[in-house]
Amino acid sequence: MAPVLEVRNLSVAYNGSQALEDVSFRVQQGERVAIVGPNGAGKSTLFKAMVGLIHPLSGRVEAKGAGFGYVTQRSAVDWTFPVTVHDVVMMGRIGKMGWLRWQRLRDREIVRRSLEQVGLLEYADRQIGELSGGQQQRVFIARALAQEATILLMDEPFSGVDSPSQEAILEILEHLRDQGVTLLVSTHDLNLAVERFDRLALLNRRLVAFGTPQEAVTPSTLAAAYGGQALWRGEDYALVLGDIDCCGETEHSHE
Amino acid sequence: MNDLLELLIQPLRYPFMVRGLLASVMVGTLCAVVGTYVVLRGMAFFGDALAHAILPGVAVAYLLGANVFWGALLMGLFTAIGIGYVSRRGQVKEDTAIGVIFAASLALGVALLSTVQNYSVDLTHILFGDVLSVSTRDLWLTAGLGLVVLLAVVVLYKELLVISFDPVLAATLRLPLSTLQYLLLVLIALTIVVSLQTVGVALMVAMLVTPAATAYLLTRRLWHMMIVGAVVGVLSSVGGLYLSFYVNIASGAAVVLICTGLFVLAFLFSPGRGVVWSWLRRQEGSAASALETT
Repeated sequence: MAPVLEVRNLSVAYNGSQALEDVSFRVQQGERVAIVGPNGAGKSTLFKAMVGLIHPLSGRVEAKGAGFGYVTQRSAVDWTFPVTVHDVVMMGRIGKMGWLRWQRLRDREIVRRSLEQVGLLEYADRQIGELSGGQQQRVFIARALAQEATILLMDEPFSGVDSPSQEAILEILEHLRDQGVTLLVSTHDLNLAVERFDRLALLNRRLVAFGTPQEAVTPSTLAAAYGGQALWRGEDYALVLGDIDCCGETEHSHE
Repeated sequence: MNDLLELLIQPLRYPFMVRGLLASVMVGTLCAVVGTYVVLRGMAFFGDALAHAILPGVAVAYLLGANVFWGALLMGLFTAIGIGYVSRRGQVKEDTAIGVIFAASLALGVALLSTVQNYSVDLTHILFGDVLSVSTRDLWLTAGLGLVVLLAVVVLYKELLVISFDPVLAATLRLPLSTLQYLLLVLIALTIVVSLQTVGVALMVAMLVTPAATAYLLTRRLWHMMIVGAVVGVLSSVGGLYLSFYVNIASGAAVVLICTGLFVLAFLFSPGRGVVWSWLRRQEGSAASALETT
């Protein structure tokens, strides 16, 4: 089967330093890929290069279908902005509406369906600042759905979100997979990545490992990705230090 | 009742008051609508700087005996694009770029105007506005350019909303991000130029920021904020003009003071967000917990 997404030899420089080096991988339709790595590993950079926000030094990104929906980190947006949940999801339709056009019935219908899928229909008229962190994350997912994206890129969707909300988001992701939506999710949470995702990409500027969680996570790959931060005890027990969920602030404040 | 009506009607017997009122209504609306973006994008300093930076254009037009309006327009557009360019180059931070260009233009304007004999009178008019000397021609110019700006805000509503709320989304949707950002700067520049005669350079930032900020405290959607802001802007413009007529104070200052009063009211009493409201809720909360413990 032809892959829905292929990244080939992608290299990116950021503020003069090499952020990504020769990254290549393929993703099949409907797969859920977790992108894991330490701070500054280039997880956000990878996403930004894929959607064209950063021009790579070299390499190609080929995607089939309607293209990418990019779910930014929650901290990237001003949540006191005077917009409702419905307004934010409708923003996903702008690319389809075109210039000088007002929203049509079809746009409203798609926004309604997207909100329904993430379970926020009854919150449509709320101002976005009135939502919890997990709900805000779901608004962004709904917006990507309204874009009719076939590949969803999610940057740290679980940071700063409590565990029931995390579970709710994971459930939505499962539904999306059933609809053939392909998912790439960056996370700090290695456990979560191993337990709940089909593929795992271990990133630290280079792609250290890519495969099923069992293939990707080995003592040698963890050592390569985390360096001295990884500590192995016995055959199947690892401790990764210094990478407790930090909301990604240090990694992303300059982007 | 009749006295009150008389109070309202009496100033209208003077044609200069009618022209002043018409200008105030237009400027109050325009500044508030465009000011919505100034407030939401944190561009108050940019607005203030742009208003001051117009001075050399005004001075040159004045010295040449040309219409001050066109000098201001040229200088406003030039400065808006200049600041946009310098800050986009990224070598210095945006507020630094604004600070440099703003002070330089102001100095140039004052230097040019100081070559004129009765320069302090002219400078005062430019700095603080002179709404009562608005001519019929000025009114038409204000109306024409004001309509152009409002039309742009309505037609590009969803695009300007996205670049202000989430520029990253705008970029992934392949919207021409920098063109739209420049356009917004140009719209703000046009608004300032159109409003120059009414409120003047020094108080311009108040008209851009205060009505929109008041509306921000009272609304939860962008277009609601624009409408409520326009109402606040018009109320304070008209109210300020009447105040200056009866109390005999400078009209621009009167407008800004009334506007600030409305802001303070919203700040204190806005439902759900005002200071008094949250105080009441805290009292309720502690009363409830006191009940529980007894």
